[in-house]
Amino acid sequence: MSTPIKVDIWSDVQCPWCYIGKRKFEDGAAQFGGEVEVEYHSFELAPDTPVDFDGSPKDFLSQRKGIAPDQVDMMLDRVTGIAKSVGLDYDYDHVHQTNTIKAHELLHFAKSKGVQLEMKEALLKAYFIDGGHVGRIADLADLATTVGLDRDEVVAVLEAQTYLADVKADVAQAEAYGIQGVPFFVIDGKYGVSGAQEAAAFTNVLEQARSERDEPAVTAAQDAS
Amino acid sequence: MSMTTPFQMVGDQAAAVCIGDVCEIPQAAAPVAEPAHPSEQALVNRQLDEDLV
Repeated sequence: MSTPIKVDIWSDVQCPWCYIGKRKFEDGAAQFGGEVEVEYHSFELAPDTPVDFDGSPKDFLSQRKGIAPDQVDMMLDRVTGIAKSVGLDYDYDHVHQTNTIKAHELLHFAKSKGVQLEMKEALLKAYFIDGGHVGRIADLADLATTVGLDRDEVVAVLEAQTYLADVKADVAQAEAYGIQGVPFFVIDGKYGVSGAQEAAAFTNVLEQARSERDEPAVTAAQDAS
Repeated sequence: MSMTTPFQMVGDQAAAVCIGDVCEIPQAAAPVAEPAHPSEQALVNRQLDEDLV
C-alpha cells in the first residue's frame, strides 16, 4: 500500500480565501482520487486584533486599516459571491472579528485527538456562516463538543496555553518558508501552491507528486526484468 | 515584501490570498502552466502589496 501524499496547509480561521481554497482543494483531491493526508498549520493574519473587538470585519478594515467603507463593501461582496460559487454562504453581517490564537491552539489540541480536520471545518463554518465567536474560550469549547472533544478538557488546555508553543512553531515555520499569505499548500514537502486555486490545480499537482513517486518503482521494475 | 520559498511553486501564481489582514481578489489571474520560479511569486506578492490587497 502506498503512503498517502502529505499536504500541509497554512491557514487562518478568519481568512475568507482559506475556506474557499479548502473547498477547492477538497474538490481537487476528490478528482485526484488517491490517498491524501492533510495537516493544518497555524497562520495569524491579524495577531494584534483584540479578542473582543467591538465590530465587524467591515468596521475593522475601515476603522483600523483606513480603507474606505464603500471599498470594503465591494471587497466583501466579491468574496461573498465567490464563496457562494463553491457552496459557502458567507454572512459578513454577523461575523465577529476577533483574535484567532485560541482557535489555533484548539486546532492543535484537536490534532492530538485525531479530529483536526473536523475542527477546522467547524471553526470556519462558525466564523463565516453561523456568526459564531471563535476567539473566546467558552465559545470555542462549546464548538469543540460538536466534533467530539471534551468541553472541560478543551477549557483546561486553552486556559493553560498548552498548545501555544505549537502555534508559534507553525508561525515561525511559515516565516522560515517565506510564506506571507494564506492559504498556502505544501504538497509532499516539495510543491508550493499559494492561494485559493481552482480545483484542477490541486488535482494536477497531486498527480504530479504521485507520478514522481511511481518513477523509482518503474525504474526498479525495468531493471529487474 | 518578497517571497522565497524552498518549494517549487505551481498553479496560478495570482490566485487569491490573504496577506496581513486584508484580502482581495488579484486583478490579473493568468494561469501558469509550468512550475514557476520563486522570483515570480515575489513579483506577484509585491504587486499585491502595492495594490493594498
